[in-house]
Amino acid sequence: GACRVSMSMTEIRAGFTAIKANIQSRDPIRTLSILSHPQSLHKVKSSDRCCITHHLFTFYVDKVFKHCRTEDSFVNRKISSIANSFLSARRKLGQCREQNNCVCGEESTEKFKQILANYEGLNVTSAAMKSLGELDILLDWMEKSR
Amino acid sequence: SGELYCSLPNPRNVHFESINMKNVLHWSAPEGTGDGVLYKVKYAVYGVGKWIRKPECRNINRTWCDLSSETSDYEEQYYASVKAFLNGTCSVWMETTRFNPLTDTKIDPPMISVSSTDKSISIILTAPEKWKRSPEEESISLLQVYPGLQYNVSVLNKKTKKRWFFSINNNTLVVPWLEPGTVYCVSAQIHVTTPVLDSSFSKEHCIATLKDK
Repeated sequence: GACRVSMSMTEIRAGFTAIKANIQSRDPIRTLSILSHPQSLHKVKSSDRCCITHHLFTFYVDKVFKHCRTEDSFVNRKISSIANSFLSARRKLGQCREQNNCVCGEESTEKFKQILANYEGLNVTSAAMKSLGELDILLDWMEKSR
Repeated sequence: SGELYCSLPNPRNVHFESINMKNVLHWSAPEGTGDGVLYKVKYAVYGVGKWIRKPECRNINRTWCDLSSETSDYEEQYYASVKAFLNGTCSVWMETTRFNPLTDTKIDPPMISVSSTDKSISIILTAPEKWKRSPEEESISLLQVYPGLQYNVSVLNKKTKKRWFFSINNNTLVVPWLEPGTVYCVSAQIHVTTPVLDSSFSKEHCIATLKDK
């Protein structure tokens, strides 16, 4: 069956919008993207969407949010609120995978490898801050493919 | 090419102004410079390694540049930059923040068409179209761009001043049980749930219900 996970996109969007300018201004690298280049998320086949989403939630929970502490407590609060939403969504997606409703095809595995390679091409803090600044790329893709 | 030593003050407030994804770069002239300042513009797709010059905005004296064509793929994000020149000197390049056409555009109100019977009015709403290069190009409704697009509709009884609000997903609304021979005024707004985008309310369209038979 299909894997349907409910999460409050409006809340996450609002949280990200509130800190977007702050976070993106900490990322001076225009010529690299973690999520959207060289291959766009929008090119991922629908059958692989669930698996990529699970991979990406795991990526953000394990490799991004924890490396994005700032000197601004407002920004930190927004980041942890987004992180909590991702944590619960990842748990639900994990259950989907256990029930075999979230199959990983070759394409999603390749795409995620590329995202990790982009991430590992930078030092941890820069890579994490850039990934956080690209959250709207992930949200845009998720909403478009709802 | 060897760049001149750039001692000119910088262009200020370099930013995109976007309506229905017509994306125009705007800026203010450098502080304290009168006439005669010329500008160059370049843009970049975020994540792609090169800046691209905009020939139509080279050595211009106006303070805007239409980059709609260059930023029409709303699955990408962009930066743009402006440099000023005057009397042989120049400013440094001044950049926008990262521009996401999908979330950073403003949306026009919907178009409304209204008809009436003696006891009801029917409202048909049309979402604006995404900017396009030419009339011949295929039209894309913003409905296709934003799957979560809804309409908020306000209906006012001009006699009693009573107002109703409706929130609908599809583009037609029939308001029943109205008073015959009465003027009702309709206004509507587009509301996108996520990303959160709201148009202003349209101007009012008034229509009278038919008199009692």
